[in-house]
Amino acid sequence: MAAIVRLSSMCRRGVKPLFYQSPLLSRPVAALQRDHEQQHLPTARIHSSQALHGSDAKAASRHWTAERVLSVVLLAMGPVAYFSPGPVVDYSLAAALTLHGHWGLGQVLTDYVHGETKVKIASAGLFVLSTVTFAGLCYFNYNDVGICKAVALLWSK
Amino acid sequence: MALLLRTFARRGVCLSKPHYNALCRHVAPMGSTAKEEMDKFWSKNTRLNRPVSPHVTIYKWSVPMMMSITHRGTGIALSGAISAFAVAALVLPGNYSYYLDLIHSLSVGPYLIGLAKFGIAFPLSYHTYNGIRHLCWDIGKGFKIPDVYRTGYIVLGLSIITSLALVVM
Repeated sequence: MAAIVRLSSMCRRGVKPLFYQSPLLSRPVAALQRDHEQQHLPTARIHSSQALHGSDAKAASRHWTAERVLSVVLLAMGPVAYFSPGPVVDYSLAAALTLHGHWGLGQVLTDYVHGETKVKIASAGLFVLSTVTFAGLCYFNYNDVGICKAVALLWSK
Repeated sequence: MALLLRTFARRGVCLSKPHYNALCRHVAPMGSTAKEEMDKFWSKNTRLNRPVSPHVTIYKWSVPMMMSITHRGTGIALSGAISAFAVAALVLPGNYSYYLDLIHSLSVGPYLIGLAKFGIAFPLSYHTYNGIRHLCWDIGKGFKIPDVYRTGYIVLGLSIITSLALVVM
């Protein structure tokens, strides 16, 4: 009872806020800095990349959005490729598929590869792979039947 | 008294807005980005040669977990297949029809051909339908656990049906 009375004196709104668990409080604090003015109250440390590296945060956010936009575009290309196959769709499909795969594999790399050198090597490898893939698909579109026709022929077997 | 405290605590309502929490009025930014913190974690732990705690080997697997890694797996497989096709187009001597006729001449049999078609169609369908499910999450829809399971089963069902339809097409 005494504990409630003491805590409620800290809360302007009475006892109720005491029982609200703030997710900010449970976040691990990486920098153990003592704020002397705030010693009597817990300070939540948050990540605020917006304040420090505004352009990085904006770039990451735009990349995320671009990934989703490309996904929707690729989704729409399915029926288009089926109903009106041709060179325009072939090259668009080559570009969209390669880029979607490149960005997707990039996320896989980010998740599983750690350490600056390893990340650099893996990213370079991925870039080479995606470039070769796009080159190969364009070569196929130009010198051979093209992606749409290839799928149609494969499926007719 | 303790009973009263416990009853309230069990409700555990979470409010993320700092100004609602009278106990935690002060929010200060850390001097680093999330990426820097993650890099620090990994460099420190690899330097100290620490083993990674068991996680996927001990945690109980759930349908959402399996569907998520399958989405990643099918994505990697599809991307790999496209890359392999592109490299083959650049490196191999003949043209596409030549290799198609080669496969035809093997006279594999209808069931094996059907199986191969299913092997191509299923990863594509699953990745596409689950991709749509991901896009729904991205616009904020379908996060409640029952919805996660329901949409998951719908994706699985549609994938199998679509793949079978594509095989007999």
